[in-house]
Amino acid sequence: MSPILAGIIGSALLVFFLFLGMPIAFVMMFVGFLGIGYLASINAALPVVAKTIYETASYYPYTIIPLFILMGGFAGNAGITRELYETFDKWFRRLPGGLSIATITTCAFFAALSGSSVAASAAMGTIAIPEMRRFNYSPKLAVGTVAAGGTLSFLIPPSLGFVIYGMLTEQSIGKLLISGIIPGILLSSTFILIIVFMVRKNPGLAPSNPEGVSFKEKLLALKGVWETIIVFMIVMGGIYLGFINPTEAGAIGALALFVIILLKRRLTLQNLFASLFEAARISVLVLFLVAGANVFSYFLALSTIPMAVSSWMGGLEVSRYVVLAIIISIYLVLGCFLDAISMMVLTLPVIFPVVKALGFDPIWFGVVCVIMMEAGLITPPVGLNVYTLAGVVKDVPMQTIFRGAAPFLLSMIAVVILITLFPEIALFLPSMMGR
Amino acid sequence: MNIKYLIRRINYYVCGAGMCLLIPLMLLTAGDVVGRKLFSKTIPGSFELSEYILAVFILLGAAYTQQVKGHVGVDFLTARLSPRVQTLCNILTLSLSLFIISIVIWQGWIEGIRERTVSDMLRIPQSPFRLLVAIGGFLLWLELLLDLVDSVGKLKRRAL
Repeated sequence: MSPILAGIIGSALLVFFLFLGMPIAFVMMFVGFLGIGYLASINAALPVVAKTIYETASYYPYTIIPLFILMGGFAGNAGITRELYETFDKWFRRLPGGLSIATITTCAFFAALSGSSVAASAAMGTIAIPEMRRFNYSPKLAVGTVAAGGTLSFLIPPSLGFVIYGMLTEQSIGKLLISGIIPGILLSSTFILIIVFMVRKNPGLAPSNPEGVSFKEKLLALKGVWETIIVFMIVMGGIYLGFINPTEAGAIGALALFVIILLKRRLTLQNLFASLFEAARISVLVLFLVAGANVFSYFLALSTIPMAVSSWMGGLEVSRYVVLAIIISIYLVLGCFLDAISMMVLTLPVIFPVVKALGFDPIWFGVVCVIMMEAGLITPPVGLNVYTLAGVVKDVPMQTIFRGAAPFLLSMIAVVILITLFPEIALFLPSMMGR
Repeated sequence: MNIKYLIRRINYYVCGAGMCLLIPLMLLTAGDVVGRKLFSKTIPGSFELSEYILAVFILLGAAYTQQVKGHVGVDFLTARLSPRVQTLCNILTLSLSLFIISIVIWQGWIEGIRERTVSDMLRIPQSPFRLLVAIGGFLLWLELLLDLVDSVGKLKRRAL
């Protein structure tokens, strides 16, 4: 059996066990182990998995993962989400669909403190949805806004998506994080545009709130925002100026938010433990996935598949943008069934060499990739954000949430097209970075 | 039943012990930066301490993550199958997971006791941390075994 055939059989086995429900990390370790045993030797295969697990679990740059998750947890405990929401409600109340706009803006600001989108969806589900209901917003618009807004955490730094992309492709995590800022603002703006457009077309979706807000009140409300801005400036500013590396930024950000919780006297042992358990669970999940991916990639490299695929793709007589469109469609389909992190871990070992061979900028592709992962969070039948939200808002059927989130999918695609036409949107900031 | 409860509790507390190290990790990294940037003084060995802390944190948390079904899988297909077939799928995939984790425990142990390296600055031996691969792996294995026993029990109950 040729190495390529072995690689294809291995990949088929991977997909088969995946669909039987085997945890993705263990499938990759298992199939990778079998494959290395076959292509190299059993003695070479035996120590690989244990070694890879230790090396992944003790690699300094990966300490950023629990620290970023901790930031989100602490920001939630500090009650920052509610304060942001109250502020933006006062500012955007008179606009069409004002509460939805406030929700998106709050999600975008919360995303500037948090790396995980599920936390944002859950928190906003309990804060924004009751408020939108009070003003008779259509349930579809209300839940759709929260589900879509929650995905912003994946793009706006600090973002787990970029960290994992950087880990898998050996790109600078700092540059990736910075490259997410402008696309993140752009995507939030297109979300808002879509809301305004929908409400203009059908004002019954979102009856406006008649209570006016004086300018003084608006100014006073801004105090709900400064913590977010300061922490974001320290963390991202530090990275941007090359003053600190992303891991150190994660530690400082987490510490700053911890101090804010202490100052606000919001620290309870229960909340602290909840944040820590959350950080442990997600970090273990991510690092086991990465360890699995490394084992599986080793097997794939032995099978020479990634090289064969990228030289085949490189030799195709089509525009590289056609290939890109195909990759994006693959992600759109996969996003329906896989969660974001697993999707990156499973596809990047093959797709990234192709993208590089086609001459696309790896940082730029990181942004495209992360936006496509975000789309996966809200596409049926499996959308993590929608599931989370359905757990929080029990009386809205899952289909309504999926349908409510669908218009926002269009703006994700639109932003991907924009970034493809004008790569500077993603690459301008990182190209100016201090380090 | 009691053994099951005991194992789950142990794994919960083991993860709890590991995760508490996250606070020192945060303080250590932040303290090191602040010291370096403001006072031109670093905390010696903070780099290697961070690595060891991460290893403890991750390896001790692996079993608890399985307990709360945190190791993600794809279940939209199996969710449509009959409960009996679902259980059979579970038994198969859990057995394969147990197999690969057994190899991790075995090889982790061999690697761990063979390891003689010490860390650069503080001369902390790496061996105990390497052995955590075997220990954390064993706890994870027990957790998977509990799930397997559950699934087999389900199948038996249906057969009766």
